[in-house]
Amino acid sequence: MRESISAVVARNDLWEGVATSEPYEVAWASEAVIFLRNLGSTGTPELARAWVQISPDGLNWVDEGTLLEIPREGGLKSARIRGFGAFMRVMTVLPQGSSFKALLTFSLKE
Amino acid sequence: MPTRPAHWGDPELSKFDPLPRIMAFDKFSDGMRGYTALVGNYEYTLDNVLPGFRDMNQPMLSNGSHWETGTHGALSGTYALKIASRPRPRSVNMALKRMTFRKACPIQIEAYFALKPEATDMLLSDLDVGAFGLVLDLQDNERRIMPHVRYLNAFDGKRQQKWQYKSMLETPHEVGGDASTGETRSHHHFGADGWVDVPGGAQELCYNEVPTKYNWHYFKLGFDLASMSFTHLQCNDRVFDVSTLEPMRMGAWPNLNCMLNVCWTIESDSNKRAYLYLDSVLVSGDWADA
Repeated sequence: MRESISAVVARNDLWEGVATSEPYEVAWASEAVIFLRNLGSTGTPELARAWVQISPDGLNWVDEGTLLEIPREGGLKSARIRGFGAFMRVMTVLPQGSSFKALLTFSLKE
Repeated sequence: MPTRPAHWGDPELSKFDPLPRIMAFDKFSDGMRGYTALVGNYEYTLDNVLPGFRDMNQPMLSNGSHWETGTHGALSGTYALKIASRPRPRSVNMALKRMTFRKACPIQIEAYFALKPEATDMLLSDLDVGAFGLVLDLQDNERRIMPHVRYLNAFDGKRQQKWQYKSMLETPHEVGGDASTGETRSHHHFGADGWVDVPGGAQELCYNEVPTKYNWHYFKLGFDLASMSFTHLQCNDRVFDVSTLEPMRMGAWPNLNCMLNVCWTIESDSNKRAYLYLDSVLVSGDWADA
């Protein structure tokens, strides 16, 4: 049986300005679906984009290349990626006056 | 000639000292094994989760990859369960396995663990981790009992290196705001106040010089579900006197009968993430069905 984990990496975390999710170790996984929900927003965070970053060590990060839409309040967006190495996170930069409560889930499979 | 316990013939089990019946043997190179994140209780919205629970997120499977040495691995295989705090003092995270018991009997929780801060500085960094601990969340038909033990490594930047327990009750709060139903409560039971030193509980662990080396330590806690009292506390070569240790004791809460939750915590003392790595956890008991 292949291991699978749906990891809620951010649960109701307030994202504003420069925001990143906590580093999450994914070396065991070969594929991921990233789900981002907006549990409540101020302003228009959906006009910005988030993107996936990867890292060999959880300290030094580089863009993986996948963009992720930020949903409107109550909405859900997703992205699929493969081949991401040891650590993964999601980053965004929101315009002044915009913020949202993020529920970020990595659905990972061996 | 003395006989050896049967489990010594099993290379995976022989490093443990289990009671006769194994309730869960979780080696994290086999996966997450049912350990998950704690969500603070709430009604209606996650905004109603108590502040002390809001930093909590999912544990992860870690192969311990570091910037200058690559993959460290675990004791029994490649992966350990990693529980990470946020990068701020007193941030706590928890991972737990939710079980129930079928007989009130002696139980034991054994683990191989390592403790490290985030390797953001090329310095010793040994005072960045605040504490790690084990909480059992238990209930019989009359009482909810919560044994708490922790290893306090540092507090406000000062070296502590000692074992503590907590029996002081924290106030329960309703978690539905103005529309609380009164059916769900939450208490910040692992908070920083009310911890008491275990007598003779000073112990220096094997930190090992830089943040990217970790050495696996053995931990064992014994607890009797019949008397609801501590029976054993051990880390590596030190066995501590548990005769004065008390768990938190309170009246039974609704819908928790026979609960047996095994909850591991990690707490930072600095602006770095603190990590608890668990290679393996073994929960055993000593009972016969009537």
